Amino acid sequence: MQREVKHTWFFNQSLQEVWEYLTKPELLEQWLMKSNFEPVAGRKFQFINKDKIDAYCQVLEVIPPSLLSYSWRKGISENEITVDSVVTWTLIDKNGGTELKLVHNGFQLLDDAIKHEKGWDYCMNRMMELINTSTNAHTNA
Amino acid sequence: MHTQTLNAFQVIADPSRRYMMQLLSKESMTINALAENFDMSRPAVSKHVKIMYNAGFISITDIGRERHCTLKQDGFNELQDFINYFDKFWAGKLKKLETLLNNKAKSK
Repeated sequence: MQREVKHTWFFNQSLQEVWEYLTKPELLEQWLMKSNFEPVAGRKFQFINKDKIDAYCQVLEVIPPSLLSYSWRKGISENEITVDSVVTWTLIDKNGGTELKLVHNGFQLLDDAIKHEKGWDYCMNRMMELINTSTNAHTNA
Repeated sequence: MHTQTLNAFQVIADPSRRYMMQLLSKESMTINALAENFDMSRPAVSKHVKIMYNAGFISITDIGRERHCTLKQDGFNELQDFINYFDKFWAGKLKKLETLLNNKAKSK
């Protein structure tokens, strides 16, 4: 099961230019969403979509102009988060252009849930056993 | 009893349900056997079981008088769909960013 989202894009623009599009709210709004983002580690902010809070976030790491990460939490309210994840941007200089890497992972509950995946083979075997047992039980009844 | 239907993430958001799935990942269990691991009423356990069943995380097989719960893949597939949703979301946003930056370069 896939547990993270990864994308790599190349831009002709410099690191600095791409960095601005990742960190300036007025530029972020043009391609992502409205926000009260500030590139300061520890700062809490929200992404707003159609006047509604889309994601509750907190800046985790800022190394201009090459690394930015923030938590990305979604839910009905900040007290009822159902998706708790992390978005990380990495910018690498490629001959004056920028290779931009996005990793969206750390889906916490998902990671917890996926631990159970290992149990599936066992469960499948167990289910077959049970089905066979119940068939026998019916035959015997 | 009113049957709640929650999405896959709401289902796993509850620690008791996650623990139930953890127990079921080791072996399939009857609802009674599950209930022994929790400090909650049997109806409360049944309610959680129903929620997991409705979201496709478990199947229930009646064997004699006992109801056996077994983990099922459908619920987990729905979680996968959620990851796929984010995949498409970011691909769309990055495409938009690319267009923006290209237009900016042209207008220079």
